[in-house]
Amino acid sequence: MAEIQLTSVEAFDGLLKPVGDLRPAGVKVRERSTLALATIMVRKGKRADLANRIDDCFGCALPDAGRRTEANDLALVSTGPGTWLACSETGGYAFSESFAEMLPGLASVTDQSDAFAILRLSGPRVKAVLAKGVFLDLDDAAFPEGRAAATQCGHVGVTLWRLANDAAGDPVYEVAMFRSYADSFWHWLSTSAAEYGLTVDETSSV
Amino acid sequence: MSGYRTKGGIVEREHRMSFTFDGRDYSGFAGDTLASALLASGETLFGRSFKYHRPRGVVAAGPEEPNALVEMRKGARREPNTKATVTELYDGLEASSQNRFPSLKYDVGAVNSLLSPFFVAGFYYKTFMWPASFWEKIYEPAIRRAAGLGHASNEADPDRYEKAYAFCDVLVIGSGPAGLAAALAAGRSGARVILADEDFALGGRLNAERYEVNGMAGHAYAARAVEELRSLPNVTVMPRTTVFGAYDGKEFGLIERVADHLPVPLKHQPRQRLWRVVAKRAVLASGSYERPIAFGGNDRPGVMLASAVRTYLNRYGVAPGRRVSVFTTSDDGWQTARDLLAAGVDVAAVVDARPEISPALTDFASREAVRRFVGAEVVATKGRQALSAITVIDKAGEPHEIATDCLAVSGGFNPNLSLTTHLGGRPKWSDAIHAFTPGSKPSHIHVAGAANGEFSLTGAFRTGADAGLEAASAAGFEGGRFESVKTSEDAVSLSPLWHVTRSRQKAFVDFQHDVTVFDVGLAKQEGFRSVELLKRYTTLGMATDQGKMSAVNGHAIMAALTGKPMEEVGTTVSRPPHTPVTLAAFAGPYRGKHFQPVRRTASHRWAEAQGASFVEAGLWMRADMFAKPGESDWMETVAREVNAVRGSVGFCDVSTLGKIDIQGADAGEFLNRVYINGFGKLAVGKARYGMMLREDGFAFDDGTTARFAEDHFVMSTTTANAGPVMQHLEYCRQVLWPELDVQIVSVTEQWAQYAVAGPNARKVLERLFAEAIDISNDALPFMGVRAFRWKGLPARIFRISFSGELAYEIAVPTRYGEALANAIMEAGRESNIVPYGTEALGVMRIEKGHVAGPELNGQTTAADLGMGRMMSSKKDFVGRVLSGRPGMTDPDRPAVVGLRSVTRDERLRAGSHVLAKGAEARIENDEGYVTSAAYSPTVGGWIGLGLIRKGPERYGEIVRAYDPVRGGDVEVEICSPHQVDPEGGRLHG
Repeated sequence: MAEIQLTSVEAFDGLLKPVGDLRPAGVKVRERSTLALATIMVRKGKRADLANRIDDCFGCALPDAGRRTEANDLALVSTGPGTWLACSETGGYAFSESFAEMLPGLASVTDQSDAFAILRLSGPRVKAVLAKGVFLDLDDAAFPEGRAAATQCGHVGVTLWRLANDAAGDPVYEVAMFRSYADSFWHWLSTSAAEYGLTVDETSSV
Repeated sequence: MSGYRTKGGIVEREHRMSFTFDGRDYSGFAGDTLASALLASGETLFGRSFKYHRPRGVVAAGPEEPNALVEMRKGARREPNTKATVTELYDGLEASSQNRFPSLKYDVGAVNSLLSPFFVAGFYYKTFMWPASFWEKIYEPAIRRAAGLGHASNEADPDRYEKAYAFCDVLVIGSGPAGLAAALAAGRSGARVILADEDFALGGRLNAERYEVNGMAGHAYAARAVEELRSLPNVTVMPRTTVFGAYDGKEFGLIERVADHLPVPLKHQPRQRLWRVVAKRAVLASGSYERPIAFGGNDRPGVMLASAVRTYLNRYGVAPGRRVSVFTTSDDGWQTARDLLAAGVDVAAVVDARPEISPALTDFASREAVRRFVGAEVVATKGRQALSAITVIDKAGEPHEIATDCLAVSGGFNPNLSLTTHLGGRPKWSDAIHAFTPGSKPSHIHVAGAANGEFSLTGAFRTGADAGLEAASAAGFEGGRFESVKTSEDAVSLSPLWHVTRSRQKAFVDFQHDVTVFDVGLAKQEGFRSVELLKRYTTLGMATDQGKMSAVNGHAIMAALTGKPMEEVGTTVSRPPHTPVTLAAFAGPYRGKHFQPVRRTASHRWAEAQGASFVEAGLWMRADMFAKPGESDWMETVAREVNAVRGSVGFCDVSTLGKIDIQGADAGEFLNRVYINGFGKLAVGKARYGMMLREDGFAFDDGTTARFAEDHFVMSTTTANAGPVMQHLEYCRQVLWPELDVQIVSVTEQWAQYAVAGPNARKVLERLFAEAIDISNDALPFMGVRAFRWKGLPARIFRISFSGELAYEIAVPTRYGEALANAIMEAGRESNIVPYGTEALGVMRIEKGHVAGPELNGQTTAADLGMGRMMSSKKDFVGRVLSGRPGMTDPDRPAVVGLRSVTRDERLRAGSHVLAKGAEARIENDEGYVTSAAYSPTVGGWIGLGLIRKGPERYGEIVRAYDPVRGGDVEVEICSPHQVDPEGGRLHG
């Protein structure tokens, strides 16, 4: 038998392609497939200890409901009571294991690196596109950088958070969904963004 | 042919547009509506009425139009019942008339008019009463054929529709003087403002009257105000957008007609967009609707609302007639006479029903030499398909016939207040303006201008500005401003006239539904006097215009007939939508195969390439079989897949089963309380089958749960119940037992998981995993589980079996799922491994007597499913107490058994009812039913599972499986559910 080669297939593999008029494109999309992800669930009565420990190790605050924090290649998104999604650019499948070792007795940690597909959406018309799927007030005042929400987008359950504006001053969001929904989400995104033009951004590293 | 284009108006004369109506070519200008362009071309006949097929022309110039309904467009885009008065003209527009045969001018349905004494109110109720048996077969189909006006296309709509959401501080509804003032006042405070207007031209009556505002023409002022609003970053201006409903939670429904004014939408453009807008405050500045007067022959083409005549004159530059008369009860009607004269149109007469008029009006009439009748009424009209003359009875009772081709009627104005009633508000009668005004209303809706009964122009600006400031302030924004404007005067003195009692001809109240004054009288006579009963009995106000022009008139006539004051008679209220909204907009982009999202597993593309067909399992798509070329039917494919598994090895994607990570110091105790059987003592590295009940004691879900560490379990659920089980566990954790230290999270999507089953399963996996893990029977016995690394990946192996064969489930991170499928195929090549689908899976589980959805149907207990003895008596668990209810423990309850067709190849079907042999097929003899059935290639015949009374005591008995729906009547033998390898030897191989 030949040596088995295992090739990974990303959730949006073969789906992302430019749509509509791209001069200039109103929306940019990029799959964030390199992120290592883990669900962090606080053990009973250990919230303060957990917050201290994460602050000690990463200098990152444990965010309250509806918030996202980040520091030193760790981002934490509040996804429910006592529950966070931890994201890291590095570490791969070892990320959740090392994270769990760092938090003995403080939190239950579960690898979710392959459970979620995450898209980064940006560009001058990104809010207009999200307004076709997300029933949330995404105004700068109501949903600034650092805000997060568990919501729905085009009938697909998503976790949405906002990052710092890009170099052009346009808003940047990331949207996480269970990866099995990638086809349906892409249908919603590509039809909703078509009138503004959508490009696939594969260049910048982060 | 009487209407013509004047020199005035604000249409764009440099942009000429061609269109057709009933196949004839016409032209108009940009800025025209279909109605204005047809009137300008001299057309008077637009449609036929619903019941009597009477010829009808345009009455109004807005969405209240009851008559001028047309079918727009052709083919799949055909759209019936479109109001010509709000249809924006575009080059290439195609429209046709409806509810007529063979043509609009010669309509055979007009014979109904001769039978009109027969077609009065309550006609259906009286006529189709008897005999009752005629209703379904004869009456209803006949009525349905005759009913309705236009026809739907019956083809799929080729256009796209969208949904969108918006949030604002102040939603301003209507862009007339009050709306513009409100939007400017609120917008200048910095509040987020949305200004929506159903019209394509913003400005409301400023575009339709000869107003002067701050020294400029009204329409120029409106254009300047809109320009400023558009320049404010916090203001969104939405023309062609109707606010059609007010809903709970300060939500409003808006329909934006993105591309209705184009022949087809532009590329990537939706046809319409349905908005849900949450507004902290709303300013309703929706204006008012003029009301007609009910007099004999008032539905003849050429009889129009006086304000509509002004709109056609001043906005569109169209004179609807060459010799126009006015019939009015207010000063407002005289304004129409002034505007007609200013446009150079002859005014034949002004008939004012009031006993006296002001000296100013008398002077005007004298100066302009206008023939006037004061204290007079129009009692009749003449003309076949267009008005040719009216009959006026003067103050002295003398009749006069006046030749005229257009009659402008002004009966006063009704505030357009329907949005204030959507949340339960009731209108209030005002004796000051002789109309209903907003009464009780939601506190977040402010009403301004004519919608609030403030009919003067200065009043509209003033109340609009006040409402805008108040709304912005309530939303937290101070500092808005609106400098008062200097306007021309307009007067609105009115004494109402609802109907002309001296008329002999039919006097219409509801034009679209052909409800006459006589019908209202009949309703009164027969006791249907409440406005709600009047509406249902006569269908007054139930047409597509929802009685915008007719309802209040009908109620006032009822008040007069019963001698009651208007405030006592009251009025009906409306529901959303304010104007019709196409269902396609409510469906949005979620239609056809996008009706709901689809979930695909990691092996989906791979399975497609292998020729798989798929079946929906909830939102998931699962491969149900992998047909090979040459296989003639699905049974052949399924039998091959089953034989391959039982004979060698096969594999199946089981990723869709729910997987729940359960951690925490009390995880074992938590599972003890969730499952009927014990889990606290399950050894690390082992899995166990578990059954959980609902709180009411019925079986809920089953699956295996594995222990990977003292404080770490992974539960599996059925595909269908993955979500409900997760919800149930969260409820248990958060509400029932908050004292437990337990954390749960779904990991269904993290792992691609495949069952590898068959006598050669171990051989294949040993090749696949090589040195990565020892899976010998000693190292990994039945029900053993391990987590390990394989080629750097986290992986899991579970020695569990649904097929009854030596079997494993292996899991890797999902992005490697497709790679794993390929790797398994490669490793199993020498063993002729096959992929198998849910059909083969189903056959094998029936052969093994494993229960699934058809048995776990929400009506069965653990005991019914043969798991009564699994229920631990040493601990408490969800559902324990209620599972002990007498009905749940009745020994006569149907319980699961195996079944097999006595003559092997005789087909057994799920759903068949079980009868004792020789028993008559009657419900009293019913002994249970067949829950699952399949052809078993292993047994060599049709087998099944069934829920049968005292079934487990009846092994060996022959019964009937009776299926009258599909003509089945099969003798079956009751047997153990375990029909293949009952000792389970293969599992342990």
